[in-house]
Amino acid sequence: MEHNVYLPRIGQIVEVKEEVKGARPIKSFRVQLLDGPIFPFRCGQCAMLSVFGKGESMISISSSPLLTDYLQFSVLKMGRVTSALHEMELGDLIGVRGPYGNGFPVEKWRGKNIVFIGGGIGLAPIWSVLQTTLLQRADYGELCLIYGARTSHDLVFRQELADLKAQIPVHLSIDVAEPGWSEFVGFVPQNVLDKKPSPVNSIAITCGPPIMIKFVIKALKDLGFEDSQIYTTVENKMKCGIGKCGRCNIGHHYVCKDGPVYSWAELKQLPQEY
Amino acid sequence: MVSEDKLREEVSELLQEGKIKYFIGFENGGPGCLARPAFIQQPEAVGRLIWSPGCVHNLTRFLQDEKRRRAREKNPDLRPVGLIVKGCDSRAINVLLQEKYIERKDVYLIGVSCELMGVIDEAKITRRLYPAKPLQVKFGAKDTILVSTDQGESEIAASEVLADRCLECPANFPLVADVVFGEKINKPNPQPYKSIASFEAKSLEERWAFWQDQFSRCLRCYACRSVCPMCYCDECVADSIAYAVSADTTAEEKAQKVKWVERNPEPQENIFYHLVRATHLAGRCVDCGECERVCPVGLPLRLLNKKLEKEAKALFGYEVGFDANLPPLISCFRDNDPQDFIR
Amino acid sequence: MTKMDKILPKSSFSRWLKSLSSMKVFFPKKEASGWTLTEVAADGTIPPDYSYAVVPPKKLIFPQEEIFFEFQQTADDGLQLRETLPEVPPQVIVGVRPCDGRAVAALDQVFSGSFEDPYYWRRRRATILIGLACNTPPSNNCFCLSLEGSPSSEEGLDLLLTDLGDRYYVRVLTEKGGELIKTQSSLFSDPTEEEKNLRNKISQEGAQKIKRNLEAARELPPKLKTMFDSPFWDEAALSCLRCGICTYLCPTCHCFDINDETRALAPLKGRRVRTWDTCQFPDFTMHSSGHNPRPNRASRLRQRLLHKFLYFVELYDRFQCVGCGRCLDLCPVGIDIIEVLSKARNHGA
Repeated sequence: MEHNVYLPRIGQIVEVKEEVKGARPIKSFRVQLLDGPIFPFRCGQCAMLSVFGKGESMISISSSPLLTDYLQFSVLKMGRVTSALHEMELGDLIGVRGPYGNGFPVEKWRGKNIVFIGGGIGLAPIWSVLQTTLLQRADYGELCLIYGARTSHDLVFRQELADLKAQIPVHLSIDVAEPGWSEFVGFVPQNVLDKKPSPVNSIAITCGPPIMIKFVIKALKDLGFEDSQIYTTVENKMKCGIGKCGRCNIGHHYVCKDGPVYSWAELKQLPQEY
Repeated sequence: MVSEDKLREEVSELLQEGKIKYFIGFENGGPGCLARPAFIQQPEAVGRLIWSPGCVHNLTRFLQDEKRRRAREKNPDLRPVGLIVKGCDSRAINVLLQEKYIERKDVYLIGVSCELMGVIDEAKITRRLYPAKPLQVKFGAKDTILVSTDQGESEIAASEVLADRCLECPANFPLVADVVFGEKINKPNPQPYKSIASFEAKSLEERWAFWQDQFSRCLRCYACRSVCPMCYCDECVADSIAYAVSADTTAEEKAQKVKWVERNPEPQENIFYHLVRATHLAGRCVDCGECERVCPVGLPLRLLNKKLEKEAKALFGYEVGFDANLPPLISCFRDNDPQDFIR
Repeated sequence: MTKMDKILPKSSFSRWLKSLSSMKVFFPKKEASGWTLTEVAADGTIPPDYSYAVVPPKKLIFPQEEIFFEFQQTADDGLQLRETLPEVPPQVIVGVRPCDGRAVAALDQVFSGSFEDPYYWRRRRATILIGLACNTPPSNNCFCLSLEGSPSSEEGLDLLLTDLGDRYYVRVLTEKGGELIKTQSSLFSDPTEEEKNLRNKISQEGAQKIKRNLEAARELPPKLKTMFDSPFWDEAALSCLRCGICTYLCPTCHCFDINDETRALAPLKGRRVRTWDTCQFPDFTMHSSGHNPRPNRASRLRQRLLHKFLYFVELYDRFQCVGCGRCLDLCPVGIDIIEVLSKARNHGA
């Protein structure tokens, strides 16, 4: 009999990194599975992480599928399960179920330019794609990252961003000016309009707060991007992760199974209920 | 007798003059013989309104939706909502006024007297007329109910098919209303707690076994709570299906929320839910009987609430919903209260 | 396998059921509150006043509580999970109305697919459904005919009984059903032409007695697709109390919740439990941030009806409603989906 889809595998936390401190903290966890290697997955897929006794939370895998040593999850502390995750330390055990979701169609983007646009914790799901394209650099055209957060303290992967600047254009932004900040000040959609990425032979991927996504899509369209060139991920409350509990549907799609990745062309066809 | 035409005229006038925002009454409700709630906004629609022995619902329950609507709107329409209240429903209004959940000016009450009748119990009528299926009920000339069935008309004695609560009703005439239809007739109530008498005679062991068995069938559909006018808490202690969470609620607050009841429908969880709810309704429940009527698995919930009603009367001389000026039972202390531990 | 028809005299019915006593047998029983399917020593035939079981047979295949696994912290700070797949002895459910049989077939689709649900299938495979055709509609609100069902529909069932008066016409539909006949084959005889005709006559009459009708149901999916943003739903949902009756008692509804229950903290011990849930509860879709894509009753009523009459059709080319009438019979405020859907179909026309 196949592995029980509801039974998690046990994973161990092998690295914890505090990305963002304060009122809305974000931590990155690297996890290895105790009973064998990590499962193969695609960029943009997610896993259900269990803190036994508290529950499960669907978190996107932010590491690249080309790295097979660990799975990386960046978790924003939001409620019961994520608070419990934030209490966890090196060596602690959690449950992992996955991979779930449809993932980004990165194979279709070979030879294209990719613009990555993230806000806050939204950088996590697209980080997987970004890392993959960097590891297979020759397969893709121009890459660039436009990323912002409310304050400089809310930016994730700070060290990695600093290193990334040597490889590709990285345009950061924060909402309100701070002493010592020399880059763009304003919202991410405004930064997109400021940096004017070209739509020619390009794909744009955007993740972040729903309001940011809305205005980024508008900005991209103003710059000439077609609906089919713009990709995003959708979030919904999830429990089973496999399209059976009926909770996360948008129309006849289950976000956990048929999503969370959608092109704007596809998303427009579904009822606007998310 | 209550005249349906006069009722419709009154509502039509109120709507035409803009005195009420909308009206909540009863209309015919499909192939069962019960009525169902109707929301009338246009004077032209008053023809839908009826008054029959099938008008079992306690329409004061919909004041919760109105209150939540007002809280959401930026410039809410503050005109009163019109609604029909029977005697029992009017007691619910009094409780809501006592607790300051609503203000008197928020409602325009059209009272209807049950006179010597009441409302029917659909199961009793169905059993009585089987195999004919009851389709519509009307008040008969005296002490009878006229039933249209799929096999013809029938006239039966009201006492055979009235709801149990109507047989021990202490308030057949509305206690608070802006206008009343129907006569005020004194209805003797010699056995006000008849429905719990035989249960009280059981031993504690028998009672516990009874409830364990009953609550093994509860589905936790929460219909009992959803239909109760007094269960208006945004967040209920006895369940976990509606949390008052906003963007400002911190992660810690969410993480530390106590889960008093598990979602599983095992008897001990069901018992906890029902007993907490019954206790929270002590001194507040007016025995409109809706919780028991709506339960899809037929839990005898009136037993719990009626018992506490009797206790409130015995211990504190308190009768629920008769005086809107009294402070709520469980939030006040009076000098002649029986226990002296608080003195 | 080819279907096989047999006759079983009612006088032999008890004997046949007794021969099945090595399995759990669920039989219609009348309680104060209505009919239930209970494990009871079946004595005699299915009572003539049997309508339908208020809580549908789904409860025996997709129970309201399913324990997924137990978790335990071990001495060396490890974690042990103990899978608790149900050990289900074979179970026979007698008196399944054909609509409920079709509903089980619909649930079968949901719980298979790219991820098979092992808990559901263990119970499903152990279950044998003996249907009872409807000589008269069990409810005033039956409308199976409108939704591609019928009072003698066979889908989802292993055997279908039709009451001919003093005997049952038994149609064997699956091998599992056939096995039940084999052990007591002496009780069964082949039907005569008269009996076959009688059965057909009774089936036709049963269909004619169905009063309620949802016209042109197949026109609903494309129409509903255009009505997502319509204010129609606000009016339709005005009296909804947001309880769970319509969905919990619906034989095709399958939404569920998964929660961890902690029994002890140090060492940690507990279990993960699946329970029924409903899209009608306010927090069903509420995000941890407080954002709720379905924040009001109108959007939740819209979800229930669109799921059943549009999304399910898009996924499986069938309605997620079998016309059993329970939600119409049991809704505390008389919300009538036939009425609502008929109005929707004609909305704006």
